[in-house]
This record gives sequence, C-alpha cells and structure tokens, in this order.
Amino acid sequence: MSQSPVFLPVRRLAELVRSRTISPVALAETFLDRLETLGPTYNAVVTVTGERGMAQARRAEREIAAGRYRGPLHGIPYGAKDLLATSGGIPTTWGAAPLREQRFDFDATVIRKLEEAGAVLCAKLAMVELAGGMGYRQPHASFTGPGINPWNPGAWSGGSSSGSGSAVAAGLVPFTIGSETWGSILSPAGFCGIAGLRPSYGRVSRHGAMALCWTLDKLGPLCLTAEDCGLVLEAIAGTDPADPTTSDRPWSYEGADVAGRRFRFGVIKGVATGCDEAVRANFERSLDTLRGIGSVEEVELPELPWEAITRTILHVEAASAFEDFIESGKIAELTAPEDHYTPYARDAILAKDYVKALRLRGVMAHEADRVLSRFDALVGPGRAAVAPGLEQEFRSAIRGSAPDVMGAIGNGAGLPAVCVPNGFGDRGLPTSLQFMGRVYEENAVLAAARAWQALTDWHLRHPAVNQPA
Amino acid sequence: MERLFALVRGRYGDRLTPAELDEVRKGVEGVVQTARALRAVRLESSDEPFSPFIPYRADP
Repeated sequence: MSQSPVFLPVRRLAELVRSRTISPVALAETFLDRLETLGPTYNAVVTVTGERGMAQARRAEREIAAGRYRGPLHGIPYGAKDLLATSGGIPTTWGAAPLREQRFDFDATVIRKLEEAGAVLCAKLAMVELAGGMGYRQPHASFTGPGINPWNPGAWSGGSSSGSGSAVAAGLVPFTIGSETWGSILSPAGFCGIAGLRPSYGRVSRHGAMALCWTLDKLGPLCLTAEDCGLVLEAIAGTDPADPTTSDRPWSYEGADVAGRRFRFGVIKGVATGCDEAVRANFERSLDTLRGIGSVEEVELPELPWEAITRTILHVEAASAFEDFIESGKIAELTAPEDHYTPYARDAILAKDYVKALRLRGVMAHEADRVLSRFDALVGPGRAAVAPGLEQEFRSAIRGSAPDVMGAIGNGAGLPAVCVPNGFGDRGLPTSLQFMGRVYEENAVLAAARAWQALTDWHLRHPAVNQPA
Repeated sequence: MERLFALVRGRYGDRLTPAELDEVRKGVEGVVQTARALRAVRLESSDEPFSPFIPYRADP
C-alpha cells in the first residue's frame, strides 16, 4: 500500500477500495494493528475484534473482486461503542466493571446493517459506564480508565462515547458508532476535534443497544468529516420492526455539492454565555465565516426550564432502566465513586413532576419546530469549554452540568445535530461548532457542516500519534 | 425536601457512608430545585404529556 490510509476520510477510502488501489484486508490489518498498539494509549478500546474483522475484510475483498460492490462502507473498518450487542462471544460491557463478561447472542440492528453494508468491525470501544446515566462527574468513570484525548494526554476525550471519539481522532479507525442521550456524541466529537452526528430520535434503530433512556437515546456516527457522517447514517438509518420507535419516514443522504448555496442560520441569544473565552472567540469568528454563505439571525426563546425538562425525563427513565442494578446495590461496583450513590436521589422525583416534564416536552417540541422551521440550522458552540483535565470535576452535585440549552432542547425534542471542529483553545485542545436542525432534517445540518468544512481546514488537522503505549 | 430526603435515606441509608449520604442529600436538593422550575410553568389541562398512549395490537 503506497498511500497511508490513516486519517483518510471514508469517502476517500471508499474510492481507493472500490478501485482496488487498497485492499480491505490490508486496511483491516492496518487499523487492527493501530487499535492494538495505540488503543491503550487513549483507553479507547475494550475488545479488538480481530477475528471477526478479518473475516469481514476477506469477504469484502472477495466480493469486490467479483464485482459485487455494496457501497461506500464496503471494506471500511470501524469501531462500535461497547453498548451495542455483538454476537459470536464478543463481550458487550456497557463500560461497567460488573458487566465485563456480559455477552449477547445476537447483533444490534446497527451492527447488522453495517455488516450488510460491508463495513468491517474492528473493535468495541470504551465508554463511560452505563453511558453516564448514574451521574458521573469526572473522567474516571469507566473500567477501561478515563478516555484520553489524542490532542493532549492530560485531557479527557469526552463521553460517554469516549473511545468512539478518541479512536477516530487518533486514526485508529475511519469511523465509529456512538450514542447520545444528552451530549454523548457531541462531547467526544467536540473535545477530540472530529465530526459527530446525533440523528433525529427514531432515525436509527436502538434494538440491541443498551437502553439508558428510551425516549432520549440516539445512535450516530463519529467520523473525520461531516460528509462521512452522512455516508454512515445512510447505512444505519431506517425503520426496524424490532424497534417500534423508529421512524417510517424514508431517508437518504443528499451529498450534493453545496458550493453557492445560501443558508439561513439562527443563533439563540446568549448561546455562548458562560463559555470559555477561546470557545466564544472561535464561535464569533465562525459566525463571521458563516455570514459569507448565508444569513445569521439571532433568535430568542421563551423563558422555559429547558434543562429541567430534559433532566427530569433522563433521571426518571434511567432510574427505571437500571432499577434492578440500583436496587441491588450493584452500583457500588462501578468505577466512579459518585456513581455509587447518585442514582438514589432520583427516588425523590415525584410522578406528577415527571408528568409535568412530559407535558412541557410537548411545549418544547412545538417551540423548537416553530423556530427551526425558519432556518436550515441553529448554530452554537459544540461544547462550552475545551476538554477538561483528567482530574477535573465537570458537574456540580446540585445543578448538574453547566447550562446547555441547545442540548436540552435538541435531545428533549429529538432533534438532529452535527458537531465539527472550529479551532483550538487552551492547552492545544479543539473547540467546536454545532449545527442543530429541525427534526428529520439531517441533510440540512449535514449540508451546513459540509459547507463549513469546505471553507475551513480544521478537520484536516490531526494530533501527533506516533508512539504506542 | 427533608421528607423526600428521609424517604431516600430510609430506603438506602444503610448502604451509604455519611459522606455519600450527604451527597445524596445534595442530589435530593437538586431534584427539588428542578421540580420547582417545572412547577413554575403554568399549563392548561389540555396540554397533554408528549408521549401519548397508543393501544397495542399485534398484527393482523
């Protein structure tokens, strides 16, 4: 192989694979080796799935040689967040020490769809235990250790899809699958300087994925580029009888050239308030860039307790989803000390307050749709700060996380969003931009992100990744 | 708040250290603050929960 495939986007790798310039077997060997040797540096990997990956790579090679090309993911290696069930004796640990040996005898729908697309599963990737649902407040919240940021080994890679973020950023695999209940795709994407797409709720089947919150969980891709996110989403999206919450709205990726397109962007008033100085500065510069390809209009939202709505739903559903785990006291075996007790407080949430949150969710959804119907996307900082240090607490016991109105509304109302890099801040760590769209308008947010990446080169910058652990 | 905390302490207090119990107390304070924020919003009785119940029937 004359050209290194590391840090090549899926789109480019697909061209090379289809033209038989690069063989799927050679690709798998390259990335499996990086996962084995570099994965531990970032605490990114739970299980390298070498046997399965090589079998899939050999099959891809045979099929492509026979002229049976399945599409842009054919022969492309990937990693899956370790809450996705994988058959064949591969553990699915949910990031939790008590579940290290958990195995399922079936594949999650997403895994099955990626196999049908010809993708090559190379690893199950590290995650915050139970996807962060037990209330973790600092990075040491997984039995695999804190996710290490490839841009700065003293910084966190984000979570709960920690390994899904760092593995792409460090060039260990070209794409990964993560999940987001509130922040778990956008956080690692933003902190690691890559693209992460949170699809609309119901766009991707959750069958076979660990449930944290049935009405908030979404599965989505993390990649080097927004375009790659579209390619991957096309392979995994669609209705699934095994998950009745999946939407029956058909969807296909519209990857047309966006040159010359004019966008309508909205910015929630005060969206950058409370953000780090570098995040604010980079955000303002980003808006100046976006004014070159469209209009940027400030919008005001009504004063509603956005975060309280989504937080209540999250806490109640998580308490129920893990009822046995919590009641049995098994949470005492989790890694993060605060995960040993935080869930107990959720017993204090009264049923009528939960129902109130559900009623307010309707208000939220209608308001979000009213606002978003006027724009291609709302734009905001991807994260309020650069990645925290490994010993830094990032939530308070009382208020939870720092204000995150876009996250509260985006997840509470099931809206799509893509996070892409837009610069650097303190300690050489990436900052990011998010484009959030109307429900089911993944193509709009992806088009906006592609247009952004056509004007900038942040996505072409990669951390120095040289020495194995 | 105290009654809610007493409920939680009654259920789980025997498995928690004093420091952990103090943290749980802060968690209950957070729950109460959140509930206050939700209750501060007036809705009409016609504002239904956004997860409407749909009766289930297996095909056909």
